[in-house]
Amino acid sequence: MSKIKAGIITFLGTNCEQDTKHACEFFGWNTEYIWQNEKIDKHYDVIFLPGGFSFGDHISSGRIAKLTPAVQSLPLGKTLIVGICNGFQILCEAKLLSGALTYNENLKFISRVVPLEFLGEIIHIPVAHHQGNYIFCGGDEEVLLRYSENINGSDEHIAGIYNSENKIIGMMPHPERAVSSELGLTDGRKIFEFIENEI
Amino acid sequence: MKKFNITVDVGLKPTIKDIKALTLKEAVGHITDIKDFQCRLQNRYLLEFSAENKQQAEKTVQLIAEEVLANSVIETYNISWNETDE
Repeated sequence: MSKIKAGIITFLGTNCEQDTKHACEFFGWNTEYIWQNEKIDKHYDVIFLPGGFSFGDHISSGRIAKLTPAVQSLPLGKTLIVGICNGFQILCEAKLLSGALTYNENLKFISRVVPLEFLGEIIHIPVAHHQGNYIFCGGDEEVLLRYSENINGSDEHIAGIYNSENKIIGMMPHPERAVSSELGLTDGRKIFEFIENEI
Repeated sequence: MKKFNITVDVGLKPTIKDIKALTLKEAVGHITDIKDFQCRLQNRYLLEFSAENKQQAEKTVQLIAEEVLANSVIETYNISWNETDE
């Protein structure tokens, strides 16, 4: 198989693009950034919408970013699209994934490593969000990740979903922060391995 | 062209738990002895722009409300008009 080509969209206020790039490169993938104002007309095997605070989270997280040329030109159904944290919020706001993300039930910014159910096992990955409370409104997605304990009030403990038909994944946890052993956590590799298999 | 002053109020749908409102309710409980206090939070946006007529302005404000100000999955919005001649 030829080298996987990953695109990472950066918005004003994105702050996890470098971590995502490092994680992709750990697996030997070719990566490049895609600026929010660029129309996506090149081929990528996977496109990441990384974490951060796009447009300062103004109005609501992901609300403005969904209107950018990069998001409007996502190659739906052709390329695997992965939204992490703010990226998940953007995909929900764009209605590319069902449901919505609102304020954590305790109204606090939650930043810690949490246990998650993923493909029948428990993995540990960091979360860092204020609007991670997932409101489930019915949809065709399968649940990819669930919080072992409901840290933010999400319906059915949902932490991540996957629309396999349109090839879109959204998750609040940050697997890219749990790839390098130097950081003390490596369970994020399992998510990247899953992504690799789905490409 | 007519100038339109429009107010858009956006709030969570009644079926969605309003966490900030519940926090306010708890705070009010600390300073009053009201037993039946209820509240919901809304964001108010004051818009001003010119349009050919009210119909066109209505189209524009609906687009802004649906695409930017509110998420129809969990929120509703209400538009109030205050049109002025330019």
